[in-house]
Amino acid sequence: MSHQERPMKISKQLRQKAQEFLSCKRNRRNLEDILHHFDCGADQHSCLLTLETVFTALLKEKDMYIEVVPLKPVEKTPENLHKQWLREVYEETYKRILLCLENPSPKIQAQALSTAMNIISAEGKCPLESSIRLENYVPLAKLKAVLDKMLSSNQNNMLIINKYTEYLLYDDILFFTWKLLPTLTPKYNPSEVYIMNYLMLLHKLDIYQNSEMKILCGDDSSPFFKFDDNVTKKCVNKVWHCVMHWDHSHQTQKEMLLVLHEKVMPHLEKPLLLTDFLMDSLDVPGPISLLALQGILVLIQDHNLDYPGIFEKLYSMFEPEIFHTKYKSRLFFLSDMFLSSTHLPENLVAAFVKRLARLALIAPSEDVIVICNFIGNLILRHPGLKCLLNNSDTSSYTSDPYIMEERDPLKSNAINSSLWEIRTLQQHVQPTVAFAAQFINTSLPSVEWDLNQVLSRTGDDIFDREVRKFSKLILLHFEKPQEAEKHDRVLQYWNL
Amino acid sequence: MAKVKNKKRSSSDKAQANKERLNSKKNLNPFEVHINREKIRVIGQKRKNDRGLPGVSRGNAIEKRKRTLLQEYKIQNKSNLFMDKRIGERNGHLTEDDKVMARFTAVRIKAHNKKSIYNLADDEVLTHKGQTLSEIEKFDDPRSDDEDSLEGNDTGKLDKDFVEEAHFGGGVLKKTGREGATSHRDLINQLIAESKKRKAEKQQVKEATLELTEKLDTEWKDLIPLVNTSKCNDEEIPKQKINDYDKIMRELRFEARGTVSDRLKTEDEIAREEKEKLEQLEKERLERMKGIFTDKENKPTHRSADDLDDGILYEEVFDDCTLSYNKEGEANVQIDAVLNGKQIKIDNEDNENQKDDNVGDENSSDEDMETASEDSFADLKEQTSESEDEEAQNTEEVTEIEDELSKQPSLHNTSENRTHSEEKITNGIQESVSSEPQDHIKEDLLKRKEIMEQARKELPYTFSLPESYETLLKLLENQPSHHQGIIIERMIKCNHASLAEGNKENLGLLFAYLLQYINDLFSEATKDSIKSSCDILRAIFPQIYELAHLHKENAHNSILEVVKEKYDDYRKKKKSYPGVELLMFFRLISLLFSTSDLRHQVVTPCFIFIEQILLKCPPRDRGKLSYGFFATTLILQYTSLSKRYLPATINYLSGILHMAIPKSGVKLIKVSRPFKSTCSDLVLLENHSLDLCEDLKMNVTDLFCTRYDEQYKIRIFHNAVKALSEFHNNLEGLPSCCEIFEPVLRYLELIPLQNYPVIVQTIAQDLILTLQKQKENRQLRKIVREAERPKALRLYEPKIVEVYDVKRHRLQSKEKAERNKLLHKLRQEKKGALREIRRDKEFLGRVKIHQRIRSDKERRDKVNRIYAEAAMQQHELNAMDRKKRKK
Repeated sequence: MSHQERPMKISKQLRQKAQEFLSCKRNRRNLEDILHHFDCGADQHSCLLTLETVFTALLKEKDMYIEVVPLKPVEKTPENLHKQWLREVYEETYKRILLCLENPSPKIQAQALSTAMNIISAEGKCPLESSIRLENYVPLAKLKAVLDKMLSSNQNNMLIINKYTEYLLYDDILFFTWKLLPTLTPKYNPSEVYIMNYLMLLHKLDIYQNSEMKILCGDDSSPFFKFDDNVTKKCVNKVWHCVMHWDHSHQTQKEMLLVLHEKVMPHLEKPLLLTDFLMDSLDVPGPISLLALQGILVLIQDHNLDYPGIFEKLYSMFEPEIFHTKYKSRLFFLSDMFLSSTHLPENLVAAFVKRLARLALIAPSEDVIVICNFIGNLILRHPGLKCLLNNSDTSSYTSDPYIMEERDPLKSNAINSSLWEIRTLQQHVQPTVAFAAQFINTSLPSVEWDLNQVLSRTGDDIFDREVRKFSKLILLHFEKPQEAEKHDRVLQYWNL
Repeated sequence: MAKVKNKKRSSSDKAQANKERLNSKKNLNPFEVHINREKIRVIGQKRKNDRGLPGVSRGNAIEKRKRTLLQEYKIQNKSNLFMDKRIGERNGHLTEDDKVMARFTAVRIKAHNKKSIYNLADDEVLTHKGQTLSEIEKFDDPRSDDEDSLEGNDTGKLDKDFVEEAHFGGGVLKKTGREGATSHRDLINQLIAESKKRKAEKQQVKEATLELTEKLDTEWKDLIPLVNTSKCNDEEIPKQKINDYDKIMRELRFEARGTVSDRLKTEDEIAREEKEKLEQLEKERLERMKGIFTDKENKPTHRSADDLDDGILYEEVFDDCTLSYNKEGEANVQIDAVLNGKQIKIDNEDNENQKDDNVGDENSSDEDMETASEDSFADLKEQTSESEDEEAQNTEEVTEIEDELSKQPSLHNTSENRTHSEEKITNGIQESVSSEPQDHIKEDLLKRKEIMEQARKELPYTFSLPESYETLLKLLENQPSHHQGIIIERMIKCNHASLAEGNKENLGLLFAYLLQYINDLFSEATKDSIKSSCDILRAIFPQIYELAHLHKENAHNSILEVVKEKYDDYRKKKKSYPGVELLMFFRLISLLFSTSDLRHQVVTPCFIFIEQILLKCPPRDRGKLSYGFFATTLILQYTSLSKRYLPATINYLSGILHMAIPKSGVKLIKVSRPFKSTCSDLVLLENHSLDLCEDLKMNVTDLFCTRYDEQYKIRIFHNAVKALSEFHNNLEGLPSCCEIFEPVLRYLELIPLQNYPVIVQTIAQDLILTLQKQKENRQLRKIVREAERPKALRLYEPKIVEVYDVKRHRLQSKEKAERNKLLHKLRQEKKGALREIRRDKEFLGRVKIHQRIRSDKERRDKVNRIYAEAAMQQHELNAMDRKKRKK
């Protein structure tokens, strides 16, 4: 009980002290008490709240505002001295608040961020000094300090960055974050944690203005500040130029490719500069190469990139392991795009078809359906491949002419083979798969199969569909259990 | 104003029209009739339009237009209009009465408007002839006035003659012709007196009749008891007269005769019927297994020269090569059946010679390797190569034969329940003790039989169905497994669905309870209790089977529900193995449902479930690995008949092999998930080649252990290889079999087989050999799509119609015919409408030109008149001028 009561009491006390201080600002003692308590390290949360109320009130009432007359020293009236002192305390406290961002507790982190941003907002509305452009004032130094803390190289600040996105809804914060970002970007290899934080922040930043036009520092009524897309775009280019040259681990590279596809790519001035980077990424196995492949696809489609070895690369990606990755549907989607051209050599496409068919022999059911439809589509696009399905050549082979181990699709001799694998899959235990493999028995349809429908299907979906299928016919085993036990395979292997 | 033909006129309309036509025909003007010449005369055809009245109908049409179109034309572009708002005035259909009614209702409605709603007293009381309706409804006085009014002329009204004479001075003119006529006043007096007199008479008559009826009523009431008693007496008298002879005769006449029924079947017939039924079921099962597939592979390979290609041979050949029932009516699968058949023949001859016969069998099967099944082949080969395990193998065979022997008597006594159920038990026992020597088996068998008998005696004979799951639990608690089986069996027998109304539903409930029981039994099972749980399960399997057959829908639904529920649990945690109870449910499903179907509502989801488990759950320890292996054996069981392919099983089994490869080199040996390529948990640490392994089957307790030990490693390897060879045997026919088993071969070659016991070594070597041999002797033919049947050319033969009626009937579906009919009608109507519009236009044109001509004429006349007047004036002027000049 006492343990619970204490912080309650203390927060009450702190609030009381803050009230007293605000009612009588001469009395430094109250403020000093609060600050002292804040330094102790206990009850950070309530301290932050109290300090926020104190300083926002001070800023609002312009208690720290000193009139500066040009070419005139500030008079040393006791009032000005007091203000001077308050300002020192203010700056000092701000730094202390930012330190709380490194606090291990996420609650205090979040509170510190909101306190800092509230103070920035208050200062933006009532600046400390009379600047020339009085209305357009965002305390850049303070914002920069926040960003600096956020892009820490010691800890993963995902929570803070997520919280910060709430403030990015304000146009001015978004704009000035962009503006500050190039100055915060190091030229040479930062630590991995830093890169992760950085990419995460980049992921959250929008290039364009928010639709709501909210402004944090200053009134909404006076549209003093103009959001300039060109500036932000320039900043993206600048920043990306640095990011590309950092040393990346696999983790960060994946993150970076994701950010690249989702945010940055459309705004780059010279996307072709990415080619080398993407080529390098393509050699990394796993999802990274897939993401790089997507980038290259964009470059080929939109920017006329010519990359001769791309099909070999794509071919080498079809390995049994893909069925256990999350990105398999993306791979199927991309390869569908790559192979959509009807001007590809049949030899090459046949190699893809054979390889897919081989993989289908060991693939999970949902993927077998995708592969069957995909193969069907490829054969529809390249009618020359019909020889894989229908070849009147009656000579018999001792082994499949297709060479699975060959890296080069053109040399794999697939065009001389036949799709025995699909014939095999017609005996799959699952009726949906077996039906999907039926397509080789009849003449092909005139319209391609829609891959998008089956790409996202999982084993669960197939289960649900099967369970929902309803027929009135209920079929039971007609052999009595004692007879059936004789060829019960389970009993042949198990002592039950 | 398109003319609308109302074809379906009421009969009265028709009658009227007929009458009119008759009238018109009577005074038909021969100059108006136009006869349509007929070009081709068809005998027997009725013609509707052989003659017409063009002039008349044109006149009618013009008349109609004058009434309608002309009126519209006249008021066009005019904004003011007189509207007659009297109710029903403009509606020609309403009769005078209807109009009155409508007006009256309007008034009444008006009376119920807002203002008058509070005038409570205003409610009118409906009356009928002065009495309120409510009074009449009481029917106090049955004598209504109707009778009075019927007789004589109407009440109080004057005589027709009198009116003729007296009113309106009618009599004045005729007066002179009549003698003794009185004055008008006298007449009136006479009239009044007469009517008074008539009224009085009427009253008298009425009173008299009333009196009479009342009297009659009272008399009737007195008579009633007399009438009744006399009736009763009449009937009683003849009843006594029936003598015994009649009675007996009647009894004999109405005695229930024996109805015609089937004669009692002999046992042979019953057996044959049973067999036929089973064969029919098997045929259906095969059809389902094939699904829509019409594979070429299933077609007979051999065709006789006389084959008519009508598929008649098809069934026979297929039956022959897939499945047969031997004499005992015992269903067996494929080649096993053939082998068994051989064995049984020999057995019947001499029991002692069986060993030699077996050898002979082996030889024969060795010779025709292609036909013999891989499984039996491997088994037999073991015997020839290894003398050590010959004995063990033999015992297995022996038990099999025992089985058959014990089966034989049962077939003769199928009708007797007791022996039948005993058979069940003996079978079960034989299975469980199959590894023991023959003598022991017999002894054990007898002992068990005794125990069973005892149990039967100990337990009460009747059990009621449990109302709740808890009562069932209480009943089964602390009972040994065979007792539990018997309890449930008796429960089903005592409460058979045909015995009472709600039994079927209750048995369905029992099924659900039993499922719950299994679930609880295994989900809480531990290493120690699992064995007994399995015993219980085995004991209640036959009962569950029976229950399922009693109430199919219920069994189906409840099992599907269980599978769904389990899958929903599993879905949340994809990487963790579900409980052991799930495996038992899958096993139950394999025994209850036909797993070989292409698509089955329960089995297909199970396949998906097992596939998901095999693909997603990583085998981290012994229990998990065994779990996965159990699932693969389940798949083996499910697909043993249909021989279908599930990639995940081969993947899993080859993963087990991979775990047995020692990973020494730097080179990574790839294996697909859920196995890890670095795992080598199943590598034997010591050389076990000299070990004697009696029992290499997996133990249920393996499902609950976590640590791998050497025995287990040997066991799982052995069983995995065995399962793989069986899978290979099943999938041999598939064209890509080599590719499927390629990793298996690769892994097997990497395993140091010399460390394994000899039995295991041979099995593995066999598998390697078969796989290699298959690879070498592979025969692949390129896929050729079945040539599509050429479309037949259109035939130009005469079309023969049996009954010819002039119309040509097109062959088309009902919907299409209906549609065509409607389209035709639409076209006709459109034509008619266009024609009408054209005529309208012509009519209006005529009206306009007439107007124009008339106005022109008027103008001309006017001009002429003015000219004439002017000329006249001029003439007068000229005349005056001339006069002046003359002057």
